[in-house]
Amino acid sequence: MRSLILMAAVASPAMAETPSFTDETASAGIVHSYDGDWEYMVGGGVASFDCNDDRAPDLVMAGGTSPAALFVNQSARGGALAFAKTAAGIEDVAVTGFYPLDIDNDGIIDLVMLKVGANKVLKGLGNCQFKDASADWGFDGGDAWSTAFAATWEKGAVWPTLAIGNYVDRKEEAFPWGSCTDNWLHRGGDKGFAAPVALKPSFCALSMLFTDWNLSGTPALRVSNDREYYKGGTEQMWHVEAGAEPRLYSADEGWRPLKIWGMGIASSDVNGDGYPDYFLTSMADNKLQVLTAQEGEKKPQFDDVAFKRGVTAHRPFMGDDLNPSTAWHAQFADVNNDGFDDLFIAKGNVSAMPDFAMKDPNNLLLGAADGVFVEVADKAGVASVGQARGAIVDDFNLDGWPDLAVVNRNGPAEIWRNNGGTGHWLMLRLAQEGANRDAIGAWIELKLGERVIRREVTSGGGHVSGALGWRHLGLGAAEKAEVRVIWPDGAEGDWQELVADQFYDLPQKAAAVVWTP
Amino acid sequence: MNRREFGLGAAALAATISTPVWAQSGGMSREKVLHDWYRLVLELVRHTATYTPPVASRAFAYLGIIAHEATAGDIPLAGASLYRQLPGYAFPPVTAMALDHAVVLHGAMAHAVNHFFGNTGPTGQRAIKAMDDRMMQALLQGTPMNPEGSRGWGKAVAQHVIDWSANDGGAVVENMGFPREFALAEGPGKWVPTNAVRQQQLPLLPGWGNNRTFAAPSNVACALAAPVEYSEDPASGFYAEANEVYETTKALTDDQKAIARFWSDDPMLSPTPPGHWISIAMQLLEAEQAPIQKRAAVMAGLGIAVADAFICCWHDKFQVNLLRPITYIRAHIDAKWTPLLNTPPFPEYPSGHSVQSGAAQVVMDRFFGADFGFTDETGTADGLKPRSFTSFKHAADEAGISRLYGGIHFRAAIDRGLEQGRCIGAFAANLKFEV
Repeated sequence: MRSLILMAAVASPAMAETPSFTDETASAGIVHSYDGDWEYMVGGGVASFDCNDDRAPDLVMAGGTSPAALFVNQSARGGALAFAKTAAGIEDVAVTGFYPLDIDNDGIIDLVMLKVGANKVLKGLGNCQFKDASADWGFDGGDAWSTAFAATWEKGAVWPTLAIGNYVDRKEEAFPWGSCTDNWLHRGGDKGFAAPVALKPSFCALSMLFTDWNLSGTPALRVSNDREYYKGGTEQMWHVEAGAEPRLYSADEGWRPLKIWGMGIASSDVNGDGYPDYFLTSMADNKLQVLTAQEGEKKPQFDDVAFKRGVTAHRPFMGDDLNPSTAWHAQFADVNNDGFDDLFIAKGNVSAMPDFAMKDPNNLLLGAADGVFVEVADKAGVASVGQARGAIVDDFNLDGWPDLAVVNRNGPAEIWRNNGGTGHWLMLRLAQEGANRDAIGAWIELKLGERVIRREVTSGGGHVSGALGWRHLGLGAAEKAEVRVIWPDGAEGDWQELVADQFYDLPQKAAAVVWTP
Repeated sequence: MNRREFGLGAAALAATISTPVWAQSGGMSREKVLHDWYRLVLELVRHTATYTPPVASRAFAYLGIIAHEATAGDIPLAGASLYRQLPGYAFPPVTAMALDHAVVLHGAMAHAVNHFFGNTGPTGQRAIKAMDDRMMQALLQGTPMNPEGSRGWGKAVAQHVIDWSANDGGAVVENMGFPREFALAEGPGKWVPTNAVRQQQLPLLPGWGNNRTFAAPSNVACALAAPVEYSEDPASGFYAEANEVYETTKALTDDQKAIARFWSDDPMLSPTPPGHWISIAMQLLEAEQAPIQKRAAVMAGLGIAVADAFICCWHDKFQVNLLRPITYIRAHIDAKWTPLLNTPPFPEYPSGHSVQSGAAQVVMDRFFGADFGFTDETGTADGLKPRSFTSFKHAADEAGISRLYGGIHFRAAIDRGLEQGRCIGAFAANLKFEV
């Protein structure tokens, strides 16, 4: 009996502690804005990754009509956030967003730059320097209004396959509706990219994510589309299987149409069934899709549980502007380290749309054991009413407590430091030899009491914003936890007991190694 | 605009209206001006968040009236105006200026579209400006008479109608039409929310039925019989109605599914049900290259009919406050039943699409004839195959029954809705137009 009581005590999460953030925008050295008129009403992404090998995440932000900018992280561990703007070879205008990825498998993170115009792939040279490698790598950047991205390593491929989502034909003025540009699949081979494959039909994607929705071992490509512009469109999911033409999941397979103003995808196993769930941002009500309960082989059918779980986030939760909300980037992260994923949503009016909230505060919804999320953005100090677009939740000062950066349209970007609390945490960095060094497509499993928390390692999603680097897990009151990795090739790593509040490198074929900042 | 011009009497109007010098340049015909603006309007209805079907019908009414009044002036008869035919619609402005027909109509439509879609998103705003600029540029290439004055006069005509519209009860739509507070009636058979959309837990536009009607004398001008008496007894007539929906939807033919989808006309994903009928009218008017007077009259008559239909229908919906099939069937027949179409977030009886389709049919009969066959390509861009009809009644009846196939209405709401709509539409069809 005594051992059972002890187990319960270890397993129980910390009380749902309201996180506390400090707005350090004025002091952190992030002076940036995503600017522009109609062609920049969407976009405005931020990428978080280490570009100078100090293992702390640096930031690169899209600027729209203003130049993009890279900010080198100079924060002391656990201290105030500090960044320095650095010339990096990424300072294009007309950039909508960035995603970090080690494309050429050299151990230095590269960047995919999405643009209004020709996209680029930028090779990381080290020390936060980049050069345009589009021509060298056979990457055809096209000429579109690119607004979504996802990456995967197809089975047997050395180079990644990049999916790029495109928006409306920007040259159509009077009748732009129904003019969605095709999305592209740039398939990687042994080196470089094949000519892009048009994903027909395309319906004005604002977010994409390669995700193994049914644990088949082969991720599918989810695409969230803006119904404002498509005709006959819907949310989509594509089979992307090595050596085969991509094909849409069909009604015959069970795919059910959903038509929303799709703007962002966030993924996490919210209901603990082992399968990824998907939060889809939109205008007014947002969606939280969980796989329907099914016996046997799974059909791609999802139930919307946003209302049930308190994450509709359909209108401002504070202030006197009660018009419907407009949601963009969304991201799950355990910001209070209680062992339950929380949800950050960036909000902001498209542009002078009077039927939607003009003062639309960002959301921070705390997850809890009962599965119902609770809004705390105001209490936590992150309920900004800027015209938010992209964002990233990541641990900038390497203290195990996720911080927050938000890119606003036609307004200053913002950054908040997480003040920390009582819960415990782990920071993990997966590493493989050869191709796909950051193990995109892996699953991290964490035993926390009787729960097994599963995290899919993805590249893409959100609203033109993404992170690559440390993977954070909140542990609640647990001072240690068992962790294993299911690698992209399906190999199951050993369960390893890890002591809390540490950074660990997790190589595929060796034991975890502590890293101390 | 000189406000005193509004005060002219009918005799003065007859004298004054015959004096302006009207001309038409070769830059762009009025027919094309009207058609292109309406083409954009159908997109704006689809892409403006407040434009649910009732709100769309109101805009179609006022836009049609504005188009009519902006073209009526070149007919040297005071009676060409809808003045005295619509309650509260004051004497329209008149002028002795030399004007260009097409520029006047363009000025009127540009001002009207900017007003009624002033709340559309940035893409809509950009499209309105592009349409305005391109059309004006094309008109100017024809060296029109007094272009600035003509455009200004068109604006004045539109503003006159807009002023009249301001106090009809439907000018302000907040929260996409969903009330922030509303007391739901409780009890057997009463409407309850039917989905998990947080915004739609209260019904759409509960006060819309109190809006001022256009041609219909009032919101109760066409009496609606009570629905089948509510009962949960499997031997009851109400159960039988629900079971008809259930059994029909379980065994839908491909054609029945196509019919349901063809007339689904969801807001934000289509021009809405009233826009569907406007689209039909535009196709037919374009096909016969109808003169501007007929085009304007059809748009006015049709817009008025569907707007009156939604006001009367909405009045009765909230009087009866009947639950939807999905609520009843899941509670009493099959807990896992799902209809083909999404259930709209407001009470069931009568069917709005049926009422407004019945009303539209009567107006279309008046302008094109009761046995006019046609093919409708409204949904082609959305992947819906065209459908052919032997008459407008055929189309209206199909629009009605589509709601049963879609699983969102009981038969009584459809049959009686069509009847009520035909009664309502007759008021618009009986307006005096110069065609």
